[in-house]
Amino acid sequence: MGSSKKHKEKGRDKDAEERHREHKKHRHKERERDKERNVTREREKRKRSRSKERSGRGSEREGRSKGERSAGEPRVKKEKVEAGYQESPGIGPQSASGDASLSIEETNKLRAKLGLKPLEMTDTTKELGTKEQPMVAETINPVYIKQQNEMREKLAAMKEKRLLNKKLGKVKTLAEGDWLDDTVAWVERSRKMAKEKELAEKRAKLLQEMDEEFGVSNLVDEEFGQTKKAAYSSRDLKGLTVQHRMESFNEGETVILTLQDQGVLEEEGDVLVNVGLVDKEKAEKNVELKKKKPDYKAYEEDESVDDMATFKPRTVLGKYDEEIDGEKKKSFQLSKGGCAEGERERELQAIRETLRNQAQSLEMPALAIASEYYTPQEMVGFKKTKQRVRKIRKKALPDELQLDDTRNTDFGSRVRGRGRRQLDEGQEVSKEGVIIPGLDVPQQSDDIRMADMDISDDEDFIPTELAVLEEDEAEQDLQKQLEKQRKKLKQKQLLQDSGEKVAEQVPWLARVDGSDDEDNKNNLNIVFNATSEFCRTLGDIPTYGLSGNREDQEDIMDFEQEAARDGAGGSDSDEDENVGWSIVNVDEEQKQPDFSTASTTILDEEPIVSSGLAAALALCKNKGLLDTQMQKISRVRAPTGALPNDNYSIEDKMTIDDKYSRREEYRGFTQDFKEKDAYKPDVKIEYVDESGRKLTPKEAFRQLSHRFHGKGSGKMKTERRMKKLEEEALLKKMSSSDTPLGTVALLQEKQKSQKTPYIVLSGSGKSMNANNITK
Amino acid sequence: MFTVSSYCTAVSTNSPRLSLRIRMIEVVCNDRLGKKVRVKCNSEDTIGDLKKLIAAQTGTRWDKIVLKKWYTIFKDHVSLGDYEIHDGQNLELYYQ
Repeated sequence: MGSSKKHKEKGRDKDAEERHREHKKHRHKERERDKERNVTREREKRKRSRSKERSGRGSEREGRSKGERSAGEPRVKKEKVEAGYQESPGIGPQSASGDASLSIEETNKLRAKLGLKPLEMTDTTKELGTKEQPMVAETINPVYIKQQNEMREKLAAMKEKRLLNKKLGKVKTLAEGDWLDDTVAWVERSRKMAKEKELAEKRAKLLQEMDEEFGVSNLVDEEFGQTKKAAYSSRDLKGLTVQHRMESFNEGETVILTLQDQGVLEEEGDVLVNVGLVDKEKAEKNVELKKKKPDYKAYEEDESVDDMATFKPRTVLGKYDEEIDGEKKKSFQLSKGGCAEGERERELQAIRETLRNQAQSLEMPALAIASEYYTPQEMVGFKKTKQRVRKIRKKALPDELQLDDTRNTDFGSRVRGRGRRQLDEGQEVSKEGVIIPGLDVPQQSDDIRMADMDISDDEDFIPTELAVLEEDEAEQDLQKQLEKQRKKLKQKQLLQDSGEKVAEQVPWLARVDGSDDEDNKNNLNIVFNATSEFCRTLGDIPTYGLSGNREDQEDIMDFEQEAARDGAGGSDSDEDENVGWSIVNVDEEQKQPDFSTASTTILDEEPIVSSGLAAALALCKNKGLLDTQMQKISRVRAPTGALPNDNYSIEDKMTIDDKYSRREEYRGFTQDFKEKDAYKPDVKIEYVDESGRKLTPKEAFRQLSHRFHGKGSGKMKTERRMKKLEEEALLKKMSSSDTPLGTVALLQEKQKSQKTPYIVLSGSGKSMNANNITK
Repeated sequence: MFTVSSYCTAVSTNSPRLSLRIRMIEVVCNDRLGKKVRVKCNSEDTIGDLKKLIAAQTGTRWDKIVLKKWYTIFKDHVSLGDYEIHDGQNLELYYQ
């Protein structure tokens, strides 16, 4: 591809050269030149395409193009464009290979055939060639351009000069003037000038006279002349604004007002201010700002009401209004004659006051804690309810029974017991059978209370009084009953003797019986039944009277209920009853054990087998059926571990077998052989290393562990060991009696050879022959 | 007066601001097997029209031509301007 580019460039250059030549020759024949260029370009391209021919498309075309080229070149200058194009073989590609393209006209034809719009031709496309045949734009020659510009400038300058000269040409210079030479002419001219002046004056006078006639002179005078202005009086003050509040001016004081500074271009009316007041206002404002009042009140209402009863909605970020809109200045206008009476202000004030007076305060009366009690005022209209003393059936009642039962009654409580009694007229309900006397006054339900009230007092309906009274009475009740209780306890303590208690009980019973004629006749005779007594001795179980296994239970029940109906006194009787019964029980308990002991002594001989195994065994023993001698059985030493028990076994978590604990266990035979008691072998275990040496225990263990772990010592260790072994071997080899060099042996040999018992030590080695000293 | 050297050979077929209007463009289609075709067309022409023009020049059938650029297949109903195919761009010519 690079080569092709070079070709292209070359071609381009060639074209450029050609163009330039043509440029020189045919400067004005642009169109022709262009088309010729196109043609030449095509030719060049064909040349190029041939050079890089790949698909060998049409050697005939080649030939054709060649021929055309040869024919075309002389034709370049003469022939027109169409000829060049006609040579192209129709619409197909023109060159052998490579870039194939149609010209615009051909393309348009094709497009028309296909039914497409013709190609969009812009100015650029028309003038300048297509991509494949790029038209070379005119060379921009800066020198030429410069020259042209210079020319233009010159021309322009000359033109201006000309014009100037033309203008100035009219005016004669001083040097040109000929009047100097000719005095007469000068004189004439000067006279002419004077005349003209006179004429002008005359005309002016005439005009002025005319003005005077019409009375315009004054105005003219005013306009042009210095007119004395009329006095500025108070009437001129009308309409001026004073930018202070009306209130800041006090009566009797004189305040000098000056015009406020205004911008030059402002055309608003004059504003009068007093400097001192302005400063004062500023100071006040600064003080206000210094106080640092909170800008934003979170709880402010959406609308605030003005003095004039106008609603002013709450603006968002109202604190910035002054900054944005500008400070609103209070001002008032001076009326005629410079007076400001402030009537309007007074009117507004009056209106405000009237509105204020008319306003209704939304405040509610202060909330106060309601009092529990009536105030004396209220008590005036309060009437007490009449107490209705209920006639009660019971006789011999204590004083407190005078109470009004309507209040101290229970209303169908379960404690009363089963079998609701018929209520008397007026919903009289029997008093609760209180075992714990008078503990609580049953709460009256509202509707019954209401019913009571309805019955008792229809006219005077004052509910609260009743409740108060009731409570007092209930309290009194309670207190009385508690006293009674205390009395009874004291009595009990005093009377310890059972017999006395019994004795006491009888008259009491009689007394009680006497009170209840109807139902208590049976109770004069107290029946003691063995089983019942026994049951009773089981103790003071709350089942007393509830199990329903007693004959006289109903009687007792009735007795209790009737006692309850007695009212306050009923409880007392119950209490006495219980006390009595308990006393009786004690007696019965005492009797019971005597009975049991008596039975055992009688039947000593024959124990009842049915009573249990022990008895049966005792019987057998007595009868001699059992052999009571204890036999000694040789005990077999059980092996470690308990006997296996099929039926049950104690699972001890500690003995859970796990492989780690099992390891420690020795399952072998722990006992020594008796026959081999005398055998005591002498065991010596010797360990030997590879060289045959006996190993110390340490070394033996080392050997074992090496064997076990499969790896021996490292390099250093083995070297050391080897060294040590060598040293040991050397040590062994060494003679104990002699020095390592064998000096003693040498000396002995020397002695032998010399046959002297001494050795002469001489310094020089000459005396000692090598022959003598050798080993 | 005129110097031999030329300062620039401006080859311009298009003026700078042409994004909005229809212009004539020349597209090069190469199938890498020897067929390289330069087709003049409008920027508003569809690919189908371009294919027809190519077919006229190459001698194949236009519906057998597939124009691609890497893996982007140019669809028949979209215009060259929409595909942003500018003047002088190379398109790959395939056959189906």
